[in-house]
Amino acid sequence: MKMQKPLLLALAAITLAAPLAAGAYEGNWKRGDIYYRMVCSDCHKSQPCGPIAPNSRTRAEWMSYLEADKHAKGKEALKPYFGKAFRASIAGKNKAAAKFADVPDAELQADVEALLMRSAKDGDAPTGCR
Amino acid sequence: MSKVQGLRNLAGWLFLAMIGGIFFSVGALAAGVNHAKFGVLKQDFKSGPEVTRACLTCHDEAAGEVMKTPHWTLSQLNPSTGQMVGKKTLVNNFCIGIASNYPDCTSCHVGYGFKDKTFDFTKEENVDCLACHDTTGTYRKPSGLAGHPVYQEMEFPPGSGEILRPVDLRKVAQNVGKTSRYTCGACHYYGGHGNGVKHGDLDASLEAPDRELDVHMDALGLDFSCSTCHKAAGHKIAGSRFQMNVKRPGPPVRGMPEDSNPASCESCHGAAPHSVDTMAKIKPIPGFTKAGMAAVVNQHNNKLACQTCHIPAMARGGVPTKMLWDWSAAGKMGPDGKPTIEKDAKGHTVYDSKRGTFVLAENVVPEYVWFNGEVKYTLLGDKVKKGEGHFPINRFGGSPNDGKSRIWPVKFYRGVQPYDPVNQTLVIPNTYDDGSSGSSYFASFNWEKAVAAGMADAGAPFSGKVDFIKTEMLWPITHMVAPKEKALACNECHSRNGSLAEGRMKKVPGLKKGPLFKLNP
Repeated sequence: MKMQKPLLLALAAITLAAPLAAGAYEGNWKRGDIYYRMVCSDCHKSQPCGPIAPNSRTRAEWMSYLEADKHAKGKEALKPYFGKAFRASIAGKNKAAAKFADVPDAELQADVEALLMRSAKDGDAPTGCR
Repeated sequence: MSKVQGLRNLAGWLFLAMIGGIFFSVGALAAGVNHAKFGVLKQDFKSGPEVTRACLTCHDEAAGEVMKTPHWTLSQLNPSTGQMVGKKTLVNNFCIGIASNYPDCTSCHVGYGFKDKTFDFTKEENVDCLACHDTTGTYRKPSGLAGHPVYQEMEFPPGSGEILRPVDLRKVAQNVGKTSRYTCGACHYYGGHGNGVKHGDLDASLEAPDRELDVHMDALGLDFSCSTCHKAAGHKIAGSRFQMNVKRPGPPVRGMPEDSNPASCESCHGAAPHSVDTMAKIKPIPGFTKAGMAAVVNQHNNKLACQTCHIPAMARGGVPTKMLWDWSAAGKMGPDGKPTIEKDAKGHTVYDSKRGTFVLAENVVPEYVWFNGEVKYTLLGDKVKKGEGHFPINRFGGSPNDGKSRIWPVKFYRGVQPYDPVNQTLVIPNTYDDGSSGSSYFASFNWEKAVAAGMADAGAPFSGKVDFIKTEMLWPITHMVAPKEKALACNECHSRNGSLAEGRMKKVPGLKKGPLFKLNP
């Protein structure tokens, strides 16, 4: 039984972990939509409609922007704007930042990425001025 | 340890592991069934009806339920007026009517293939499950495809240069779930051929609204979906502008069986929602205690819809709503002799050679009318009269004295649309261009041809003459409920001496216009 116990514990762990493995995190585009509208668009405005429309760029252009990790015309990195520290810094005046205070940075970036891939000019549901 | 005991232990551990796994899986999927695991959905679907056939292998009664609803029939009998109402029968002053324009209009039908009036309403596989149950946000049904999504990459409309990508039906089918603000809104935000055009209180800003825009749908707060209020049973959804409950003997109770309407404020808030606490922040009225003030405000519930005070303006989310559409201005070409489009400073179309002139507005203060819930429409064939004013496309029943009416906020929407001056009827023009008939107004810019085709399809008489008539339509306002601190204050309606003569209610008949009581100076 001494030999069986670790084996069985491993088996149980695999069984328990299976649903997790199957559900590896995919960006939640709905949460990304909220963050994009209420945090990103809070600063980023453009003519004519105000918030920058997701369909103002193609998927490739958005991916290139996200991967380049450059913000403010290259003066700083983009990633921190998905980070907990940034959210905490604006939580007092931005309810979305406060609401998502504990979301892991990578998840939130994946959420926004999922939204942009869906809503880009050549996305499945191009989204313009709203 | 004996061999038997070892086997027993092994069986015990396996049992525990299995139970643990089951509990974990159930917990992980508490939000809904994981459809990705079903074999019937692990196929490369070539069409929407194929997906529906797969859905029906388990949900065998769902299509039958959907087929009894107006979302499928696009028409319903209004028992109080005896009129058949709905997209299939009505004429409006937006896109006007469905006859001869089916492929365009039926992108908002919960079905596949409604391309003309021969559509088979009995075929279950034609029911579109995904339009309402998609959670991926990738399922779209473009105008012109008769309710189908895109199955293969295509340029649409042909020659436009716009490339539509196919929908991954397998992915969408494996991720079905509850309806959302996005799925309902895919049609209800875009009625009248554009975002926010029709209702005034429904547009894409409600996909992820903040508290200021809608206190219930606030994506960071209560986060209501449409179905939180518009409760469904057997795919029948409560709450429709065609049959509204505006006043009842008592508050309707959520979840009551038939003949109840849970899509009402009172179903949650009751008939006397204002308490002493809610009065705490309101400026005192001389001679009234807080309890007295609460009683006075609750008394308003007898004559005012909740929406009247709690929706101070419509189109508040940054999306304008259409206030006027003048079809008579259509047909003017650009300098190059081709159809042209003009936009306003915010990029919204205000002139289109194919459609005419539009007037748009944001933050629109509603108008107010007595309303008892009864709406009577001017149907195709009903006589209309051209005059100085606007002929009503619909009429709201109600009066100050009938004991059934309350004052409701409405959007007054005006149009100038083609009509038959000889028969004195509204008409439906063929606007959708299938590229072959040549009768479409969008292709021919010839109203007589377009109306002849539309009326022939509708089976309605047409004299051959076309003129234009000014019309108006009323839309009840009930969404975009503001936070309580943004509700109308007393002085929005009552002047300092209490009179209603100058405030928001000044045009509403039957109200005492003289001093009622004195507000704070």
